[in-house]
Amino acid sequence: MSNATHQAATWLPPVEIDPSRPAQGADETAFAAVTDSVAARVNRVVWPRSRWTLPAFLGGVAALVVVALAFDAANLMDRSFATSYALGLLVTVALAVTVGTALKLALDEAVSIRRLRRIDTLRADAEALVAAGGHGSAMAFADTLAGFYADRDDLASPLESLRLAVTDAHSDAEVIALIDRQVLTGIDQRAYARVLCASRDTALATALSPSAALDVAIVLWRNLKLVREVSTLYGARPGQFGSWRLMRRMLANLAVAGVAESASHAAVDALGGTLAAAVSTRLGQGMINGLLTARIGLAAMNLCRPVAFTAENKPTLRRIRAELLSVPKDVL
Amino acid sequence: MSPNFPNWTKLAGVGEQALDFALKNVGTLTDRVLEGHVRLGVTGLRRAGKTVFVTSLIDNLLRGGRLPFLDAVASNRFLAARLRSSPHREVPRFPYERYLAALTASPPHWPAATAGISQLRLAIRYIPNSSLRRSVQPMATLNVDVFDYPGEWLMDLPMLNQSYREWAAHTLELAERPPRRQLGARWLHWLESVGPNDRSDEAAAREGAALYTDYLHACRRSQANLSLVQPGRFIEPGDLAGTPLLTFCPLPSPAAEPGPNSLWGLMAERFEDYKNTVVRRFFVEHFARLDRQIVLVDVLGMLNAGPAALHDMRMALTACLEAFRHGRGGWLSRLTGGQIDRVLFAATKADHIAASQHANMRNLLDMLVSEARNAIRFEGATVDTLALAAVKCTETVMTEHQGRKLACVQGTPLGRQRPTVLFPGGIPDGPDLFPENVSQPYRFLDFEPPAAVGRDGRGLPNIRLDQALNFLLGDHLA
Repeated sequence: MSNATHQAATWLPPVEIDPSRPAQGADETAFAAVTDSVAARVNRVVWPRSRWTLPAFLGGVAALVVVALAFDAANLMDRSFATSYALGLLVTVALAVTVGTALKLALDEAVSIRRLRRIDTLRADAEALVAAGGHGSAMAFADTLAGFYADRDDLASPLESLRLAVTDAHSDAEVIALIDRQVLTGIDQRAYARVLCASRDTALATALSPSAALDVAIVLWRNLKLVREVSTLYGARPGQFGSWRLMRRMLANLAVAGVAESASHAAVDALGGTLAAAVSTRLGQGMINGLLTARIGLAAMNLCRPVAFTAENKPTLRRIRAELLSVPKDVL
Repeated sequence: MSPNFPNWTKLAGVGEQALDFALKNVGTLTDRVLEGHVRLGVTGLRRAGKTVFVTSLIDNLLRGGRLPFLDAVASNRFLAARLRSSPHREVPRFPYERYLAALTASPPHWPAATAGISQLRLAIRYIPNSSLRRSVQPMATLNVDVFDYPGEWLMDLPMLNQSYREWAAHTLELAERPPRRQLGARWLHWLESVGPNDRSDEAAAREGAALYTDYLHACRRSQANLSLVQPGRFIEPGDLAGTPLLTFCPLPSPAAEPGPNSLWGLMAERFEDYKNTVVRRFFVEHFARLDRQIVLVDVLGMLNAGPAALHDMRMALTACLEAFRHGRGGWLSRLTGGQIDRVLFAATKADHIAASQHANMRNLLDMLVSEARNAIRFEGATVDTLALAAVKCTETVMTEHQGRKLACVQGTPLGRQRPTVLFPGGIPDGPDLFPENVSQPYRFLDFEPPAAVGRDGRGLPNIRLDQALNFLLGDHLA
């Protein structure tokens, strides 16, 4: 019986271990292994193509532009100093301010992009921890998350209650569920309120705006603002370019989601739209724009959450749709 | 004013009083209708941890500080809970305060074995989840009735569906098998000296019952820790000690039905009396109207005791769960009660092993109760399994031992003063529980309650009590 012998080989009798020896904390090597495997999976190349030509080309162009700009700037400074000392000073100050703020902006963007990446890693780690079904590694994850939100005063009390709730007896999946319930659910509710508010804003504004160009401008501006609000709530804190990046990823996400989302959703959306359109084209358009904004907001929530939504707490369009249908009643 | 003239002001006053009275009564009546009621059946064989579970459940609900997985607590809708007097005035009150004092004393100790039945009602105030219901009822109340009893009495329930002949045949067949045969030698020897057709004789009945009771006690005390011990009142008589109700024992079945004046007739009559006055009453008063049920199983104790104990417990559980009415309750049965629509099987004392073993513990429980679970599922009730500890006595720590990293527990073993770190052994994740070449593979130790437990006012520390409560009561607190 190979099974029995195998068991006998690994079987260890119950034993009392020296009580004077200090106990160690949870096993952290397992966590490192999990994150490594996640990183390996994320880094896997999907589409084989030359990875360095485009960056090299762009880098070269950027270097040329920077050198040319530097020459121009030096040239400009020379010429203005030749004209008058005061003008030269002014140009120098303007140059310094320009370079300084540009650096600052770049730094901010880098930080914001890093935070977005960190959220991605956190989410992947959480998924891997739940899938592995182990024990003891999620404490490290909870610590990382607490560190990520350490500068948030509004999250201090949820994090404290999380610290009290988690014990050494909880499995990794249970710790992740506790993080979800204790810390993230509060953020979810606030984000959902923002999404609701934004979608009502766009619905009303497009319904009342006189021109189509204004519509587009309003929708774009409001959506960008919503994305920034939602991502700030989850701690992503994007800069200008960061929000554009986020927006781009979200549009891609939406395009996929549009295909993948159940046909019933799409049908109900369309039906809601046509019903309202029968009452008024403008109102119908407003409704559709509002729903679009809401979907972008929900996509932002999905992307910025450090732990992915579960099937139970996933935010849905249904409530927003109901709220939107009540808007014309409120306004008229 | 003429004397015949009716006193309108007084009459109006009477009317007002009547209206007031009616309104008040309508108020309490609607309260009674609007308040939710749940009868929670805590089922478990002897030493499964029923008393400690009920104490911890009450304490944790009263303080509400350690129940993060209870949805109502997590979403801040749980207001508070209070103890209420039970509507069944004839049943003694569950001495929650006494048990809590025992657990939190210094040095702390476990409550003694339960000798009788006791009951308590807990009222939970919460904010309803649906906004529609909130507009009618800004806060709602759920009354939870729990009761505690000796686990031995549970083993009487399968007898309800048996005649004396069936029961005697079954019990005798069981007593002939190896671990029991030696334990009941004296009683079996006595059985050979009497015949079922002997004349009805009170002294013989007494002697037989005494020997049979000794055999049952021996079964309980034995190394094998046997669970299938009937009738339960022979072990834990409660208020019936010394009554003629408890003077019978199984006899070998005769070919022809003996007359009423035979020993068999006497025993059969007493058996029926016992069934009708003791078991049926116990069942009807306490188990027949349950809404939710938790079945506590001491898996670790059974593993310690060996394969015979495990097999015995499995049979005992399956047999006594058949007595309950499980099913899918509609709104009508919710109003009238009487059907259990959710059953939770819980492996207790999960703190005796390292937390990384809990998944295996749960799998083992799944395997042990698979028959009972399928039967209950077939009736339409929802079933789940869980590994829990009503009072958490240990911490899981990682230690290095002979070059291997081991998940150990840190706590004070029963009967000692100082905490220690020990490797309690693991539960295999396969069906091969008892390897043939190891004589006693499991030695899970019991632990003392931790010192200064519950001093922080958040309720007794526990493992997954909140998940158990969420499964059992969560939908009533929505």
